[in-house]
Amino acid sequence: MENKRVDDHEIQTTVPVRVDRFGFVKHEQNPPEALMSSKSASEYEREERRIRKWRKMIGVGGSDWKHYVRRKPHVVKRRIRKGIPDCLRGLVWQLISGSRDLLLMNPGVYEQLVIYETSASELDIIRDISRTFPSHVFFQQRHGPGQRSLYNVLKAYSVFDRDVGYVQGMGFIAGLLLLYMSEEDAFWLLVALLKGAVHSPMEGLYLAGLPLVQQYLFQFDHLVKEQLPKLGEHFAQEMINPSMYASQWFITVFSYSFPFHLAIRIWDVFLYEGVKIVFKVGLALLKYCHDDLVKLPFEKLIHGLRNFPEDALNPDVLLPLAYSIKVSKSLEDLKQEYEKQTAKTVEGLVKQEKQQP
Amino acid sequence: MARTGNKNIQAKLVVLGDMGTGKTSLVLRFVKGQFHDYEESTIGAAFFTQVLSLPDAAIKFDVWDTAGQERYHSLAPMYYRGAAAAIVVYDITNMDSFERGKKWVQQLQRHGNASMVVALVANKSDLESNRVVENEEGERYAKENHLLFFEASAKTAHNVNELFYEIAKAVAVASLNQQSGMKLQRRPDDLGRRLFCCSS
Repeated sequence: MENKRVDDHEIQTTVPVRVDRFGFVKHEQNPPEALMSSKSASEYEREERRIRKWRKMIGVGGSDWKHYVRRKPHVVKRRIRKGIPDCLRGLVWQLISGSRDLLLMNPGVYEQLVIYETSASELDIIRDISRTFPSHVFFQQRHGPGQRSLYNVLKAYSVFDRDVGYVQGMGFIAGLLLLYMSEEDAFWLLVALLKGAVHSPMEGLYLAGLPLVQQYLFQFDHLVKEQLPKLGEHFAQEMINPSMYASQWFITVFSYSFPFHLAIRIWDVFLYEGVKIVFKVGLALLKYCHDDLVKLPFEKLIHGLRNFPEDALNPDVLLPLAYSIKVSKSLEDLKQEYEKQTAKTVEGLVKQEKQQP
Repeated sequence: MARTGNKNIQAKLVVLGDMGTGKTSLVLRFVKGQFHDYEESTIGAAFFTQVLSLPDAAIKFDVWDTAGQERYHSLAPMYYRGAAAAIVVYDITNMDSFERGKKWVQQLQRHGNASMVVALVANKSDLESNRVVENEEGERYAKENHLLFFEASAKTAHNVNELFYEIAKAVAVASLNQQSGMKLQRRPDDLGRRLFCCSS
């Protein structure tokens, strides 16, 4: 990776680009890389043992996986929450998302979509391609393999589901997946997520009017008030609502503007447990920074909600806090409340229209 | 913050326009003096603040930089509601972006504050050889619709400070008129207080 591809006119540098362990170009200020850079021998051994356990659980090419999950779902859940070993991440993501099955059931479909179909979103996709993870070596080179595969996956999806097409934000999800799997695998994982192979479908995040974004923001707003009442009140006073800071959390599942090492840990859990984890992580961030946030006035508050301190973004601190927050019951109640409310609004609009001749 | 006798005005500013026209780049040039060839796409919206000093007032801009794609349209009202100023950006190398810009202007005229200062910006003036929207076209449209108009380049910094300076001046004037005309109150149902808050 150290032997980077230097772009013709993008990175104006002649010295080798320094990248972190995930392939992101390092900035002058050192990111929290110290966490992983120097592992002690015992840590290294523990990691090895962990990988062996995971390999056993998966079996050859995923052959034992389903059986294991059926027999010991709690063990799987616990292990995933601790983080999937990076070398197995791509494979496990495909197994837990249901995308592997989709791939096997649809041979040749991806190729068809990429090569033979045209999409109304092509120009939009092209305009965003060099603006998706621009600081990652894989996506940096103009028309390089990273950008080409990103384009292919997004174009294929925009053809596969013309109602969704391409929406800004999907690029970060596809980009994240492409760092762990092939184009075709990434495409089917995108399909599995948006169409709801295992969990509830995500496509509502991207459909016209962004209906699912609106619903999630409504739910999140109420969860904050419910679980962090003091902060909720402060937000109300400062006229802060979640659409000012949390919409991209949902739209990209934290793959946008969050440290990559945290994003992938969230994705491990997201793919196995569903969107609940996005709410939990969001609440955990607020909870962790609660005492600072309640003191801040509007601008500083917005800034704080978009730039969390480094210690709050440490997955080994943030995720255990997130797991301790319970949201399932409230989410269900709030969803029903939201549906009732939107039904009323629609009814009102229909009535208004009827009254006007 | 400002010298004695000077006014501090806080103004909400929203940046609208098609995707890839350079909204974020213009804001970053203004706020941080930086430019990146491939600025990450904005998802949802981004927020910046910057203070600009005029001879007799200091304007503090709360800048909402929005996502450009049509699909995000439904989120836009909450960013321009209560805004004191708006910048509508198009890309001189892309005719569709000019058309899209006009649509934003119309929407602001219909749904924005009557006193909102609106600037139309023809960005990427450094890409002269690829130009498809003539300067006069933009200028004429701006004139007809009573908008400030600038051709600018976030890349070379051409006209960027001028743009924000002129907006600040117009906002200061509007805030004076507003103050003498009516009393501003906190309106908790929207972001009204972000329109102007003054302290002298």
